Amino acid sequence: MNAHPAVPFSLDHYAALHDLVRSWRNLGEIPEERLPAPADGAACARLLAAEARLLDAGRLADWLALFTADCAYWLPTDVTGEDPAKFVAWEFNDRRRLEERVERLATGRAYSQAPPTRTVHLLSGLEMLTDGPDGMQVLANFLIQTNFAGRVGQRAGWTGYLLRRQHGRWRIALKRINLFDADLPQDNNSFTL
Amino acid sequence: MTVAMARTTAGVYDRLFRPGQVHRDLYVDPQLFELEMRDLFGRTWVYVGHETEIPKPNDFVTRNLGRRPIILCRTTAGEIAVLINRCPHRGAVVCRSARGNAGGFTCGYHAWSFANDGRCAGLPLRHAYGEGFRLRDHDMARPARVASYRGFVFASMIADVPPLDEHLAGARRYIDQWLDRDDRKPVLVNNGVMRFRTHANWKTVYDNAGDGYHPPFSHESMLRVFAARYGDVDMKYFTADVDDSAMEAIDLGNGHTMLDQRPAMHAVSAWERQHVMPGREILEQRLFERFGAERGRQMLDASTGSGMNLNIFPNLLIIGNQVQRVDPLAVDETVIDWFSTSLAGAPDEINAARMRLQEDFPSFGEVDDSANFEACQAGLALVPELEWVDISRHLTTGRGRRGADGLWHEPVTSDRHMRAYFEAWKALMDAGSAARLREGGGR
Repeated sequence: MNAHPAVPFSLDHYAALHDLVRSWRNLGEIPEERLPAPADGAACARLLAAEARLLDAGRLADWLALFTADCAYWLPTDVTGEDPAKFVAWEFNDRRRLEERVERLATGRAYSQAPPTRTVHLLSGLEMLTDGPDGMQVLANFLIQTNFAGRVGQRAGWTGYLLRRQHGRWRIALKRINLFDADLPQDNNSFTL
Repeated sequence: MTVAMARTTAGVYDRLFRPGQVHRDLYVDPQLFELEMRDLFGRTWVYVGHETEIPKPNDFVTRNLGRRPIILCRTTAGEIAVLINRCPHRGAVVCRSARGNAGGFTCGYHAWSFANDGRCAGLPLRHAYGEGFRLRDHDMARPARVASYRGFVFASMIADVPPLDEHLAGARRYIDQWLDRDDRKPVLVNNGVMRFRTHANWKTVYDNAGDGYHPPFSHESMLRVFAARYGDVDMKYFTADVDDSAMEAIDLGNGHTMLDQRPAMHAVSAWERQHVMPGREILEQRLFERFGAERGRQMLDASTGSGMNLNIFPNLLIIGNQVQRVDPLAVDETVIDWFSTSLAGAPDEINAARMRLQEDFPSFGEVDDSANFEACQAGLALVPELEWVDISRHLTTGRGRRGADGLWHEPVTSDRHMRAYFEAWKALMDAGSAARLREGGGR
């Protein structure tokens, strides 16, 4: 989908994102011709392992460095793949809003994260599809073990990533976090999923 | 219950109130919560949903009415109906889907089936109920009253309530103003819901909705980030002595209130005050190309936050561009449903901008509010020796006044909001306990 990328967050871009999510929801077995070269697959898996590790360590500035300049961090409210131009998300952040989110958490006045939620991010069942020579789509189930001020919890679902190779390094262009119960009442999700 | 006790029941809740203070039991007593579900949510107009959530015949959503499971549906004939979602046979919840489109509902237990206006349509092996059995004696129950004001559907479990228009009192003109921004394109409540669970009493949510004192403190993290990046934007106007501003708190009657930020937010251009959100530049550019800068900005101003906190007791909050339903689940557990809105017939760019704008405050501000609700709940629940909560701002300053609109206006940080709704709370709860005594229901 990134062969001719639309202006980020234009209506064309939303349409492309909507199509991408639909393709993930309709995906059967991954076609042979879209299986990644082993070295690319391993590099992408390393990126996602590092992402989880940085989140769990609370190193959000380092975590942000893993994202592209035109990235999106997307936490929908629906479990049906609705159009982001017409449907509200829990969060739909471009790079700026993602930076603002990290800056807010660093103010010392973000009472929703006082103390910060501790997390362990687990990813399993990684599936990868090439998206042009320098793009990779990754689908994975996630389980996040949380502890907020002594209250133990979990978040679960699947994440759809769009990764892009820039100057020889893989970076996150899209992280769509599909909570399996996104349409049902949610506890404090102001930590970073 | 003895006659002597019954005589004093009219004042049973007096102990919970002192001038400028309310008792912690209002927030932490599980028995009092049960009574609220009976005598408050069971005896007044409660907000159910908006007609645009169910646009087509046979559309339905399931909700709660003070915990009672209900179905809000548009019947096959196109009428709005509210059903108690309980089978008249054995009491099972009939419809177990959050939303859908169905001409009727069938109970999963013994397959009693009902049309979507609640009429009993049939049941298996009817002969065993004998000769006198009539289907019409086995319809699904409905609240005693259902009425809409400009698409907002309310229901009451008892018939003896004032007409909805009268109940809404001073809130009606503000509902009109909220709906009739710009060129009055119809507001649709059909663009997704954020369902926040907070481990706090439902009244902590209602308290906060009319609290013009907390923003610079509770939301310091958000205000600080946006001010550092963009300067004088958003609600930065709250970081001064706002009681000297043109913003105000207005008592609309019957526990409804309005916190009016429009004099600050919409003084020049709400869109220009709004810090950037995803797609701001490209959506603005496309609109200006199509409609010109002046008209484009008008349209964007009318889709930026409304600058209104319109609080309709007990469970409807119209804030910014969202409609919130406050849903009490237990004395210390509440779900706040934030329904997003769009404009029918508006350019797609406007509605895309509305989606991104409506994600801003929830993830940067509501999360801190919710954490503070939970902190209040913890402090109130865990310290029985300290019984009182302060609601006294501007009780003695003499700065309230009767406006030309006949409504009572106070400085924006006033606690008049809480004093006003607790007065409505007490009137309803007193009437409810008196009614149950008359009916012999006891506690």
